[in-house]
Amino acid sequence: MKIPYYPGCTLKTSAKNLEVSALESAKVLGVELVELPRWNCCGAVFSMATDDLIHQLAPIRNLIRVQEMNEKGIVENENRVVVLCSMCFNTLKRSNMFVKEDKERLEKINNFLSDTEEPYQGNIEVIHFLELLKNDIGFDRVAEKVKKPLKNLKIAPYYGCLLLRPEEIAIDNPQSPKVLENLLEALGATVVDTQFKTRCCGSYQTVNRKELVAELAYDILNQVKISGADCVVTSCPLCMFNLDTRQEEVKKAHPEFKTIPVFYFTQLMALAFDLGESFYRFDLNYVNPKPLLSEKIF
Amino acid sequence: MSELKFIEGYPEYMYKLIEIVHETRSARLKEKPRFMTLEEREEVLKIHPDYAPGGKREIRIGPNKGDVAPNEVVDLLEAYPLINPNEIDLNNVDYEPDILIIGGGLAGTTAALWANDNGIPAENILLVTKLRHGDSNSVMAQGGTQAADRPDDSPIIHFIDTMGGGHFANKPDVVRALVEDAPSIIKWLVELGAMFDRDENGYFLELSGGGASRRRMHAAGDYTGLEEMRVVRDEFRNRGIPCLEFNPAIELLTDNDGKVVGAVLWNMETREYKIVKAKATILATGGFGRLHIRGFPTTNHYGATCDGVVLAYRAGAKLRDMDTVQYHPTGAAYPQQIIGLLLTEKLRTAGAQVVNVDGEAFVNPLEPRDVEASAIIRECYIRNKGITTPTGIRGVWLDIPMIDLVRGEGSIKKLFPGMVRMYNRFGINITKNPVLVFPTLHYQNGGVETDPYGQTNVKGLFVAGEVSGGVHGKNRLMGNSTLDCLVFGRRAGITAANYVKSGVKIGKLTLNHVEKYVKELENTGIKTSRRSPILLPDYRGKAVLARMIDVF
Amino acid sequence: MEKTLEEKTSERFLDIMERIKESNKSVTTGIDEKEIKHWVTIYIMGKAYKVPADLTLMQAMEFAGYRFIRGAGCRAGFCGACATIYRKKGEYKLRTALACQTRVEDGMYLVQIPFAPAEKPVYNLDKEGGGLDVVFKHFPEVARCVSCNTCTKACPQTLEVMDCIQAILRGDFKFAAENSFDCIQCGLCSIRCPAEIIHYHLFQMVRRIHGKFGVPPEPNLEKRIKEIEEGKFNEEFEKLLKLSPEELKEIYRKREIKLD
Repeated sequence: MKIPYYPGCTLKTSAKNLEVSALESAKVLGVELVELPRWNCCGAVFSMATDDLIHQLAPIRNLIRVQEMNEKGIVENENRVVVLCSMCFNTLKRSNMFVKEDKERLEKINNFLSDTEEPYQGNIEVIHFLELLKNDIGFDRVAEKVKKPLKNLKIAPYYGCLLLRPEEIAIDNPQSPKVLENLLEALGATVVDTQFKTRCCGSYQTVNRKELVAELAYDILNQVKISGADCVVTSCPLCMFNLDTRQEEVKKAHPEFKTIPVFYFTQLMALAFDLGESFYRFDLNYVNPKPLLSEKIF
Repeated sequence: MSELKFIEGYPEYMYKLIEIVHETRSARLKEKPRFMTLEEREEVLKIHPDYAPGGKREIRIGPNKGDVAPNEVVDLLEAYPLINPNEIDLNNVDYEPDILIIGGGLAGTTAALWANDNGIPAENILLVTKLRHGDSNSVMAQGGTQAADRPDDSPIIHFIDTMGGGHFANKPDVVRALVEDAPSIIKWLVELGAMFDRDENGYFLELSGGGASRRRMHAAGDYTGLEEMRVVRDEFRNRGIPCLEFNPAIELLTDNDGKVVGAVLWNMETREYKIVKAKATILATGGFGRLHIRGFPTTNHYGATCDGVVLAYRAGAKLRDMDTVQYHPTGAAYPQQIIGLLLTEKLRTAGAQVVNVDGEAFVNPLEPRDVEASAIIRECYIRNKGITTPTGIRGVWLDIPMIDLVRGEGSIKKLFPGMVRMYNRFGINITKNPVLVFPTLHYQNGGVETDPYGQTNVKGLFVAGEVSGGVHGKNRLMGNSTLDCLVFGRRAGITAANYVKSGVKIGKLTLNHVEKYVKELENTGIKTSRRSPILLPDYRGKAVLARMIDVF
Repeated sequence: MEKTLEEKTSERFLDIMERIKESNKSVTTGIDEKEIKHWVTIYIMGKAYKVPADLTLMQAMEFAGYRFIRGAGCRAGFCGACATIYRKKGEYKLRTALACQTRVEDGMYLVQIPFAPAEKPVYNLDKEGGGLDVVFKHFPEVARCVSCNTCTKACPQTLEVMDCIQAILRGDFKFAAENSFDCIQCGLCSIRCPAEIIHYHLFQMVRRIHGKFGVPPEPNLEKRIKEIEEGKFNEEFEKLLKLSPEELKEIYRKREIKLD
């Protein structure tokens, strides 16, 4: 199965560990995620103003690129595009809805783009990799490929906001999502439910108010510890940064705080598939997870 | 034009002639024209603009009195200054750097960086330039920069090639400096971040050039000079070295000892003059293409008007090899909008042949430039086998599409993006069709005589690049001009820095040399309204000039 | 008296030179309107001028009486000094061009942009290195790109300018360096950019980073520099410098040519 894949800038820079682990795991599951031959920034944040069309150009241009992949025969009749980064997913999917629900907006954007692009037809579908795992591949098939079950690992899933809010674009029930839980169970891990799993990580506040974000991370990570989990799993590079890298600030504010590893779900999948170090890239995680893993798994 | 029918950018009749080029291409691929013997070369060179009668005369005054130079150059040497020395106030000095660099091309900019590296603080250097910093012949250099770094090559072979190309008139010690510094100056550029063409293993992709017996051309597509210039200029700007644009020097300053100690600048926009007092002055003003010697079009930039030679000559600097002019064999001859613009020699080294109206490759494409140019003139005007454009210009075909046949589909696009782009703008696809070419005025072979360290016979005056004379003899090889700028820019920068550090005492600023020169002009009986340097050519319409009133 | 063959040849060659001069005079001197058959009207900063139909914008402005100080540089499409914006009769599109590389069309409204106002950030690659963080530090505005592609449409070199900006955002300096390579730094993209990015300075930095850190040292070059430093060629040069031009000529004649 070949399906267009939109990486986003972060996966090419600070979140290479998310990308390599996902692409290789997908291969094991018989799916080739084909990177868009040409793409631009997703738009970084969905613009809420309904008349602010210029900020829709970036996401819509990417959807046109997916169209082009079909026209050029790079993929066959595949009008979906898989996204890994939660922020990109959120932005692309919302922009897609935004133009689909109002033909006039779409026309205006298409007119603006018409010097260099074919018009966007409005029939591309933006899906998250977790949706592909759940709906197309199935967690049973995931379980079949597990070579090294994560059975001693107690994991707290953390969704953050971007996969679940607003409700119209949610990949799962926004109040009590289950998709990460189901995946982790398929990988053989013990899932630990925490109170704050859909709470905001602080998002872009991390740029200018890192103390605030450190406090949020402190709260979330303490909840994880209280629940008895060994580690956290997330799907989002921004959540990863705020929960993982910001532990440095948490330690400064709370000297008693002990660091706790945070993983991308794809890293754990690659680990359970036993794909090898080069596909885990734990070196890019701020809190070194190796002590925990050697204690629990190896 | 309206009654002419155009096919792919060419008028129909020319397009029909192109069919002959297409038809003969495969045969020409197999049978390449041989090189001429030295005797044949001698014969064809008689029609070269340098040797054809009527182009040159004797210089009547100054250090090179009695030497011969093109009329257009002698016109400038035998001309009066732009300023009256008595009207210039030399007591109010506007800038007082250690080193003044006149000229903002590759040579001047390189000199600034190396002076800075050799102990002259950035703020004690001043670079002045007539146009914008970098608007120069340097950025127009397409083919490459020679450096003998391949295993089957050596600086010795590069030396021999350069001497031979220059008809053995070059100063051998200067040529040695050129070729021995070449590899390290390439390394310097790479460390600054210049991107040269490389193969998949990281080796430089090196082609040959006319007159070179090895492949040693370091290229960056056909934007080699641009890449070198912009990288060096970027570094110049990072160092915070002061630069004055649109401020050409219009006269050098000397002190009572006759040392050069700065210059009079002229702000072209405000029209005021400025006085620069400097311990050392580096002249890097480039060449003279815009003099349109013998009425030839030129590959040169807008400001190539021989200013540096004029200024230095008045200050007593000796010139050499000013009698020869380099005409590039392949300038654009069609369309009208780009006449004279350069079609790099690299096109011929990559496989393009020069072809006449009957589809014959009448000359080996890799003869030295003067021979190649003469052969094209002979083909057009003696053998009458050229092609005439709607505006009456004659030329021969440069069969560019051959390159893809020799080097594989897509090579033209990859090696010559600039040329593909330029012709595309005028509706001509050079990957499919040949282009019309005729020799064009390209390079000032001689200039202010230099030694291996960029020193002239005048104390305090240093030179680098095209303005200098000695390194190329009577004819420069492809790939040695940007190399000249880099190597002697570096050497002049270092020499000037050392000169400054050795302790220079500047006497009173004067324009005595100018006064003396004017007297010599008068005493020789040279009566003329000509004034020099001319700074810029004038292309305004004749009708406008006829009715011009200078009010402001 | 009968002319000698030499005199005849000399006269003939002189005549050829005169004919060449005559044929080129439209580009080497000011144009004489008496020789022009076809005319168009262009609007230079709003004023109408009748100019010959086969000139470039630059030549046409000169014909009309403008003498450039700014706005003309190499006159061959390499320096970017003659950036020009124009509209055509009956069209809303704002087009861009290099004045030296574009033929006049009837009804053009044009103005030159001889300078793009922008400060060049100062950096030291040896000290700062060539990471994405360094690029962001000096060009923070690059993150403001909204992918409108106006830069690309403004580029007279037809580069994919926006794709290069986007590549930089994701740290793909190789793509940006190679695809911005033909940039002549005219600044038209930066004048048009709604995010106010200074593309031409940014690309320059990224190309230098790629050229400096993105390619390995060249083995042949390193080896030859070492040989020269060790004086490998000194002895031979000393010998060559003592030879007469005639002796050098002999060596030149016999030299082996290896171009494959």
